[in-house]
Amino acid sequence: METAELLQYVLAGLKSGSIYALVALGFTVVYSSTGIINFAQGEFFMLGGMLSVFFHGAGMPLPLAGLAGVLATAGVAIAFERVALRPRRDAGPLVLVIITIGASMVIKALARHAFGPDELGLPEFTPGPSLSIAGAAVERQSLWLWGLTLVAVLSLTWLYRKTKLGRAMRACSISHDASRLMGIDTASVVMVSFGIAAALGALGGLAVTPLTQTAWDVGGTAGLKGFAAAILGGLGNPVASVVGGLALGLLESLSVAFISSTYKDAISLGVLLLVLFVRPQGLMGLVRREKV
Amino acid sequence: MTPESGSAEIRRGLALAAVLLVVATVLAVPLLGADRYLLKVLVFVGINTIIIAGLALLFGYAGQISLGHAAFVGIGAYTSAYVVEHLGAPWLVGVSCAVALASAGGLLLAIPSLRLRGHYLAMATLGFNEIMFVLFREARTITGGNDGFGGIPYPEIAGFSIDTPAGNYLLVWGVALAVVLLAWNIVRGRQGRAMRALHGTELGALASGIDVVGLKVRTFALSAGLAGLAGSLYAHCVGFISPTTFGLEQSVIYVAMVVIGGLGSLLGPVLASAALTLLPYADALIPGLGRDVVAVLQSWEADIYGITMILVVILAPSGIGGALARARLTVGVRGAR
Amino acid sequence: MAGALAAIVVSTAPVAGCAVSGEAEEGSAQPYRIGVVLSLTGTYAGLGGPEKRAIELEVKRINGAGGIGGRPIEVVFEDDGTDAAKAQAATVRLIDEEQVIAVIGASGTGQTMAMRTDLERAGIPQISMAGGSIITDRLSEWAFQTPWPNRIVIPFVLRMMAEDGHTKVGLISDTGGYGVDGRDYVLRSAAAAGVEIVADETFNPGDTDMTSQLTKIRSAEPDAMLLWAAGKEAATIVKNARQLNMSQQVYGGSGIARREFIEGSGEAAEGVMIGTGKILVAESYGEGTAEHEVAASFIERYTEAYGSAPDIFAGHAYDAFGLIVDALSRVEGDADGQTLREALEQTEGWIGVGGTFTYSATDHNGLTEDDLVLYVIEDGTWRLVD
Repeated sequence: METAELLQYVLAGLKSGSIYALVALGFTVVYSSTGIINFAQGEFFMLGGMLSVFFHGAGMPLPLAGLAGVLATAGVAIAFERVALRPRRDAGPLVLVIITIGASMVIKALARHAFGPDELGLPEFTPGPSLSIAGAAVERQSLWLWGLTLVAVLSLTWLYRKTKLGRAMRACSISHDASRLMGIDTASVVMVSFGIAAALGALGGLAVTPLTQTAWDVGGTAGLKGFAAAILGGLGNPVASVVGGLALGLLESLSVAFISSTYKDAISLGVLLLVLFVRPQGLMGLVRREKV
Repeated sequence: MTPESGSAEIRRGLALAAVLLVVATVLAVPLLGADRYLLKVLVFVGINTIIIAGLALLFGYAGQISLGHAAFVGIGAYTSAYVVEHLGAPWLVGVSCAVALASAGGLLLAIPSLRLRGHYLAMATLGFNEIMFVLFREARTITGGNDGFGGIPYPEIAGFSIDTPAGNYLLVWGVALAVVLLAWNIVRGRQGRAMRALHGTELGALASGIDVVGLKVRTFALSAGLAGLAGSLYAHCVGFISPTTFGLEQSVIYVAMVVIGGLGSLLGPVLASAALTLLPYADALIPGLGRDVVAVLQSWEADIYGITMILVVILAPSGIGGALARARLTVGVRGAR
Repeated sequence: MAGALAAIVVSTAPVAGCAVSGEAEEGSAQPYRIGVVLSLTGTYAGLGGPEKRAIELEVKRINGAGGIGGRPIEVVFEDDGTDAAKAQAATVRLIDEEQVIAVIGASGTGQTMAMRTDLERAGIPQISMAGGSIITDRLSEWAFQTPWPNRIVIPFVLRMMAEDGHTKVGLISDTGGYGVDGRDYVLRSAAAAGVEIVADETFNPGDTDMTSQLTKIRSAEPDAMLLWAAGKEAATIVKNARQLNMSQQVYGGSGIARREFIEGSGEAAEGVMIGTGKILVAESYGEGTAEHEVAASFIERYTEAYGSAPDIFAGHAYDAFGLIVDALSRVEGDADGQTLREALEQTEGWIGVGGTFTYSATDHNGLTEDDLVLYVIEDGTWRLVD
């Protein structure tokens, strides 16, 4: 295989990988602060694209529409947390899983009612022909996607390390009860975590819509792959989520190159199962002791 | 709830009478003048009852969440269809293969999942469902791929083809009633207590000497086998199957039915599944119901499921089963929640 | 016993405003009920929309002129969401609940095949608007077809490609019925047409990014690309190809002869060549012929009612409906599934917009290669290539 062709596949893998990374980050942020896996995370990815299209269609200029879409999605997540999760916050994982699953069903169905069953698109952020790097073609929108992912990761790292909120979130991830005893408002931390997680997923949805369009039902696959990426890297660790996302994207892309395009999805799912069964803490994770 | 000794006999007698009445009514429906379409819809209800009974055992009682049950139904459906249509075997062989393969699938999923709990188990079963979906779609020579597997012959017993809606109804509901009875027995016995102990706390169950691993694996396999049985019935009564029937959305709907019916209850999920299965076919039950109303119901189906599920979990965690128990309408076993 | 049972069943059957055939009174305007299963949502939504509009237009016209033998026509539409299972369920509903005498459908090949068993068992004729050859290759006495099947279109397109000097071809097709059927025929007919297939990639309906498949095709260095799909993914493919700086000539069949394809692809659709029927440019029927008159009339009425010209799918629906009406008018006495089927098989020289139809016991398709022409997309619309 020529370098140009191989490079093309690598770039395609990094493109889908950044999307998985953003969704995975969302899973990780919520999991760290609450111990919950939010099955509705994929739907936040979908809402990011759909709401941005809505605002853009209502006349907002593209950058503003995108921002509004991301913020609105965060709002939906926060509302969901307050209304549906907080009342049963102390119930076991089974109940919480059910609530987030129910939420994903409702959000998806409401999106269909509100925005219709067809695909919707956005114009590229900076229209123009693809760039050529060493013989491989790179769409301008991909550069936007990578840029936004980088900004998101750096912002999150800064948040965790340098701000009071970030420290509170890290404290919660170690122990809720101890954090509460220390005077940390754990309820607010949980709420903010959901907002941030949704914003991350929504950012991915927004950035990719000009490339592949969005629709009411794109959340399921995005969520599944994002979760696979988070697990692959190691749940609870933001850097690991990004690594997991990029790794998963590359794995998929290279499997199309060397095996076949039909089994692309099966491969990422197989990876998910393999990691869950063999090494649930992921590539970069530490072994967590499960409280029975 | 300790019944006084004198009325215990009466309660048991009433219970038996109630059960017999229900069985007789269910089996008499074709004679009561139900039309073809209604009978076909009720066949779906019966098939879902079988699936839900199995899932209630696994999820409602033993607390093992499975978001992949539709995959087991699919395994049963495709196996039975392939064995009968392509290999020319009689239907009973097809059904047996379906149950065997689906149970094996349940074992295959259960064993590596033993360590997983809660979220992780849910995700593993979800991943399993998605992989099976891809396989159903790609194994075109066996399954017909995206466009499905059609022309599946009617069920056939001892040379008699069961090819009328009434016949299918009786077959499916005969099986469904037997399955519910079987599940009922399990729940009332030692296995049922062990399952509820497992649901409560795994460490405690282990400490009580329960073979936790064996129980989990057996329950998974049984529950998957029942789903496979339902799959075979579905394939041969409907005559056509395709991958979308066995996708993730369907698995989530099964879980929703058990949740709304109430964890730790058997009757609750069965009733919930009947009601929810009938919802999009309301026009079969209520003649003259406008097509617009039906269209609205079908369009809002997923919303209804999701919202009801959340509301039940938040406001009435024991679901329909709990409500029944509180009204003293169930006999004997009450749930763990 | 059986008679009493049957009487109970029939008398309690829900009568949601429909007539049960066999209970028709003389001289009453008992309507003919026809069911239609098409894709109003899902990846084939672009086909179902025009099909529904064409049928509604024709129903109004025929009922306005007094119906068939004084009896009006009632049409019941069902959306299959481009899903085979839904198409089958919709068919069961149409047969059992709506008690139709014929079913038009579906928009897609896979969905069409899913409907077949139930219609055969019920003895109800089916006229499909889908282009897979399998619909008539696997001959059923109850199933008919109005589009030009892949069996006819593919050798035509391949021949056009060879004549243009494009002999090394990269094929990309979808895994739905139409794509699979098309791919089979391409691989079968390529050698005879003098064309070599150097790359053969597939994608699933619903996929949103085909750059990987196109990268593989690009590296095989074909002279041209053959795109065989009917869903909205086709637009994504030509856009992806542009982004990969692929400059090969793109050819396709009826599946991409859609306005949505041009709109969805924008710039990327320019230069794409399509082999399909004559309706896109009415002059191709030949000025002054009877065929031209029929087509022009339909185009005019459709454009007036809906503001845009009909495409080939509207044409397939027009033909399907028209064939049923024509057959019903030839049936003596009360029509039922069996008599309608026989009348359909006797159709001879019926002029539709897809071509002139002649059915027989062995030919349930009725068209030939003469009904096809080659177009090129230029300035956002189709132009005949001579």
